[in-house]
Amino acid sequence: MDGGRNQSATGEEHAVQPIQLLAPDGTLTEDETYTPYVEALDESTLRDLYRSMVVERRVDAEATSLQRQGQLALWVQALGQEGAQAGTVTALRETDMIFPTYREHVMALHRGITPQQLLTQFRATAHSGWRPQDHRFNTYGIVLASQMLHATGWAMGAQRDAAAGDEAAREELVLACFGDGASSQGDVHESMVFASSYELPVLFFVQNNQWAISVPATTQSRGPLADRAAGYGFEGVRVDGNDVLASYAVAARMAEQVRGGGPKLIESVTYRMGAHTTADDPTKYRTADEVEEWGAKDPVARYSLWLRGRGLIDDAFVDAVEAEAKDLAADLRRSIHELTPVTLEENFDTVYAEPHRQIEVEKAWLRDYEAGFAEDSAAGGKGDA
Amino acid sequence: MVDTFNLPDVGEGLTEAEVVSWRVAVGDTVAVNDIVVEIETAKSLVELPVPFAGEVRELVVAEGETVEVGSPLIRIRAEGAGDDEDDEDDGAESATSAAGAGPGDGAGEPTSAAAASSSGSSAGSSAGSSAGASSDSGALIGSGPKADAPRRRPRTRHADLGLVDDSDLPPMPAPAGAPAGAAGQPRHGRDLAEMVAKASPPVRALAKRLGVAVWELVGSGREGQVTRDDVERRAQQKKAAPGEIPAEPTTPPEPTFNGKLRPEAEREERITVRGVRKATAANVTDMAQNVPHVSVFKEIDVSRTMEVRAALRQDPSYEGLSVSPMLFAAKAIIWAARRNPQINSSWHESHYVLKNYVNLGIAAATPRGLVVPVIHEAQTFSTRGLAAAITQLTVDAREGRTTPAEMQGGTLSITNIGPLGLDGGTPILPPGQSAIVALGQVRKKPWVVDGQVVPRDVMTIGGSFDHRLIDGEHAGRFITDVGSVLEEPGLLID
Repeated sequence: MDGGRNQSATGEEHAVQPIQLLAPDGTLTEDETYTPYVEALDESTLRDLYRSMVVERRVDAEATSLQRQGQLALWVQALGQEGAQAGTVTALRETDMIFPTYREHVMALHRGITPQQLLTQFRATAHSGWRPQDHRFNTYGIVLASQMLHATGWAMGAQRDAAAGDEAAREELVLACFGDGASSQGDVHESMVFASSYELPVLFFVQNNQWAISVPATTQSRGPLADRAAGYGFEGVRVDGNDVLASYAVAARMAEQVRGGGPKLIESVTYRMGAHTTADDPTKYRTADEVEEWGAKDPVARYSLWLRGRGLIDDAFVDAVEAEAKDLAADLRRSIHELTPVTLEENFDTVYAEPHRQIEVEKAWLRDYEAGFAEDSAAGGKGDA
Repeated sequence: MVDTFNLPDVGEGLTEAEVVSWRVAVGDTVAVNDIVVEIETAKSLVELPVPFAGEVRELVVAEGETVEVGSPLIRIRAEGAGDDEDDEDDGAESATSAAGAGPGDGAGEPTSAAAASSSGSSAGSSAGSSAGASSDSGALIGSGPKADAPRRRPRTRHADLGLVDDSDLPPMPAPAGAPAGAAGQPRHGRDLAEMVAKASPPVRALAKRLGVAVWELVGSGREGQVTRDDVERRAQQKKAAPGEIPAEPTTPPEPTFNGKLRPEAEREERITVRGVRKATAANVTDMAQNVPHVSVFKEIDVSRTMEVRAALRQDPSYEGLSVSPMLFAAKAIIWAARRNPQINSSWHESHYVLKNYVNLGIAAATPRGLVVPVIHEAQTFSTRGLAAAITQLTVDAREGRTTPAEMQGGTLSITNIGPLGLDGGTPILPPGQSAIVALGQVRKKPWVVDGQVVPRDVMTIGGSFDHRLIDGEHAGRFITDVGSVLEEPGLLID
């Protein structure tokens, strides 16, 4: 990697250039370390990478519209970050536990979470639309960086399971997702210190999308976020997050080393093309030129070019994926009304893994309390008119 | 069928938005998610995609107009649907009633919409503020999912605490002198109540040791926590009066309506003191604390004044001018001040100053609060001139155009409390002045004239005076003089 400085408005004055295999024009460059990982991918996986990005992008757009139509309280767009997420999640095993932020929609769909389940929390009908264990994908962490401690704690548990003779745990990897904004949180520091001290199998994955709401990444960190890993005593790598192949290769290589080894950090340099959330207006703090510049580095466009060049996809395939995405979006629109609010009782059932006396007591009390209202309405609506 | 897209909350807790520009016109055909309008919220400009396909029937809100969340924006006629008026009505109705209810509330049923707006406002008027998403009607009503509407149904009973099967647990020691009320109560019920009672583990342990049931106690600690003292006090009481039955915890009174004086307002509102309110507060505090006030009152027959007033009102030269009792009172006050110089003065500790002119302050209630504009050199005005000055000054004050200069330098003031339906009061003096006259309401009252009770126009005049330099005698003579003029306006003829 060269040490040249590339000054731009969006954080690329950092000295270390991110690893890139696939250029925005769709040309693939050779890299001694990483190319072998890409070459090992079979054709169906290569096509799935494309499909997962395109489908999520369509779901993302539908969810944004649904929010604008009053059907969701909030939506968090992943637009522009599909490559970083698709490449990384594909490099993991299905059994690896993922601790997401609230923007890892590509990863969630990849793990079999449905769009409806994904939207549940944003429609405020439940705290989470899925059970983490069913998908090895934790609930979305709304409190910035809280998931980092959960991830490190989970890895400590896995390490102990392994010490107790659990063979599966010996091979386990935990993916800890965070963003450039969260990188300033103390939780990230603590999670990295513990991961390093205990040599835990945590792959730290920061998507540097250049903006922490309205604060540029260059304000959060004067140097590359990847460099911070050195301070904790483990390796950090920068990758072009808009290059799905490099994202895959870097994650695959790092994952090998994390498994049974110690933590690593990937800084995925990408760009949030949309707003921070639907409650944000990015035109207030960034220029149209900047957005345009990053739009030209779109992860889907460049990957599509490359796949077509290799003859891996054709119009029929692209149309089929489009149709699949469109159907999924239409289903989502239809089914959004079917999401029913979680009952308070159900909330009690998910507090502890095992039956818990106090929770049972409180649940019974609540059931009785609620029943008090039902009796009132059965009595003929004798309200205080 | 005609679908209505209502303004959603596109941010987090926004209440309204301005329609900046429409991207479609009536008659256009739109598809789901087509951008139809740009709105500006408190946070940002937002383009709204429409949730329906069909033909645009109506743009409900004009560009530049600001509407509340939940208000209808645009109506779309579904493709291939009929277009009769009934359909349109149905669409509007479902939008209105759904907007009144929260998700999961059976949105769209008129009954639940009515329940949600039981505070007295109609379902329609509550649509803007308590909009929720329709969860079962299938209609996108365009107002983000909200928390459930607050329950307003009264509780009919306390939760039965005897719910939990704890037969697997060892029996708890029966509290010494257990309250009789607890006898019929299942043991496990008490156990639950102890869990619910707010007490720290050491306090619970103490209670157990002393044989006090924590749930009986009303905590005196922070946020109702049962404290060590509460437990010890109860233990003492029990020792003193064994077998005493503690009162059942009383049910808090059921709130009427939603329990507020004004259902639409917050329970308490914090209003920052600024502007006129701030100045008023500073002035009255200073004057009330530093000036010993004395007040006098007098009831007078102003029938003749009212006759003159009626005459002046017919006079073309008074057209457009306010010919009120206050005009005559002002004239009377100027006349009386000439005869009672002590009244028109200011106190300066070592001396006081008699003013040989009247800068007449007139207290006026304005939208901004109380202001006291001043008619300078009022003694130089003709009756008509004074009428013109009072008219101008009241108009300026009501419209908030009174300048600070117009409020300076008053020597003597009037406060007209008659329009409030009042007869008398004890106003606080304006800063730097020694007298303020309060004018009561003019009303027909039985009055004795020449030994006969007859209906006359009667008014109470009075006021407050700086008692340091105005004795009761001064105040009395002055008010009597003012009264004389109002009783016999002919005195004004010099």
